[in-house]
Amino acid sequence: MRRDAATRSPWILHFDTGSCNGCDLEVWALLTPRYDVERFGMVNKANPKHADILLITGPVTRKAEERLVNLYNQTPEPKLVIACGDCASNGVPFFDCYNVCGGVDKVIPVDMYVPGCSCRPEAIMDAVVKGIELWKRKAQEERS
Amino acid sequence: MTDIMTALALTVLGPLSVGLLLGVDRKLTARMQNRVGPPILQPFYDLIKLFGKERRADNQAQISYAAACLLLQMVAFIIFATGGDLLVAFFVSGAGNLALALGAFSSRSAFGQIGGQRELLQVLAYEPVLFLVIFMLGWWNGSFLSDSYSDNLLGVMILVLVAMMPVVLIVMQKSPFDIATAHQEIVSGVYVEYSGTYLGILELAHWFELAFIFAVMTLFYNDDDVVLSIAIKVAIVLAFVFFAILIDNSSARLTRWDMIKLTLLIGIGLVSVNMAAIWLHTEGVF
Repeated sequence: MRRDAATRSPWILHFDTGSCNGCDLEVWALLTPRYDVERFGMVNKANPKHADILLITGPVTRKAEERLVNLYNQTPEPKLVIACGDCASNGVPFFDCYNVCGGVDKVIPVDMYVPGCSCRPEAIMDAVVKGIELWKRKAQEERS
Repeated sequence: MTDIMTALALTVLGPLSVGLLLGVDRKLTARMQNRVGPPILQPFYDLIKLFGKERRADNQAQISYAAACLLLQMVAFIIFATGGDLLVAFFVSGAGNLALALGAFSSRSAFGQIGGQRELLQVLAYEPVLFLVIFMLGWWNGSFLSDSYSDNLLGVMILVLVAMMPVVLIVMQKSPFDIATAHQEIVSGVYVEYSGTYLGILELAHWFELAFIFAVMTLFYNDDDVVLSIAIKVAIVLAFVFFAILIDNSSARLTRWDMIKLTLLIGIGLVSVNMAAIWLHTEGVF
């Protein structure tokens, strides 16, 4: 019951690691009446200590690197990291810039990648819903 | 024995119905914003999830304050449910709020500190009003014991009941009075440094606190017909929650000083007018 309840209540933290704001707009679009992610129990908490799912956008600039690690460490287990957009997935088109890490997975472990420049809100929702299955497994592993 | 069973049932049913009410609240809010909204049972899913999360705290004091907050709010509601003294329940519930503020102060987070200070300001704003409401109930009834109420007070004390509106708005953390837990402003303030199980404990404490506030409002109507009595009591609570949602969706957050001024002005003003009306009536003026 605990596991089922958990998957019905994924709380979100959105962090922009240096994105152009294209993906951020799409993440925020999830909260609008058109997409309304609250019907899946998702709430944007803006606080790593309350969050279950980290929606990360941007190619992770050197400045944002430490903050991203900090946020990741502050999020209690079980947690899920979703890299939203092409920049967050592998750093394109900034992958070889001097001031960029080149993707979220270069800094913290990533569970799901959402492609697109910018990524569509439907794709983010799909990732979160699919991610919930993964989250269920993670919670199970943690208990065993 | 039956009394103990009733009290036990009330102690369990109180927070459960508050959880359900909060679910209806979120659904209604969503509908007012032209959204579908979460299921009615969402607050229970959230709570169960929180209890399943990793236990992590900034310091030991934080855990003690969270536990104290839950225990005190629980005791306040149990005192009410077992027919105890309303004033004692009121002060115990107030101590619970203090534990919440102390918990926020125990961490070094700036948002936590601001949240704690604002929580104390909220207490300063609504507790005098709540105290006056309880005082009026006891004064009219001749006793503060919660099981000694048998009159219909809606006629004589309707303004006293209306004075509970700002109190309900503050305790339900609704705009324009969601000062201490301002979500995007200070990232839920008093709760900011809590996570997982400990956040769940505080959420449950909040349910008990709400249960006590709603329970005080149910004392305004009593009837020999138990079914009618319960129906009107529930209707009173539902009406207050509906208006709280309506106000929440149509107003922006006020400053903390405006909250204190408005709450005290509306609360003390309405209770005073009601008191004057009762006095004039007993003096035979009308």
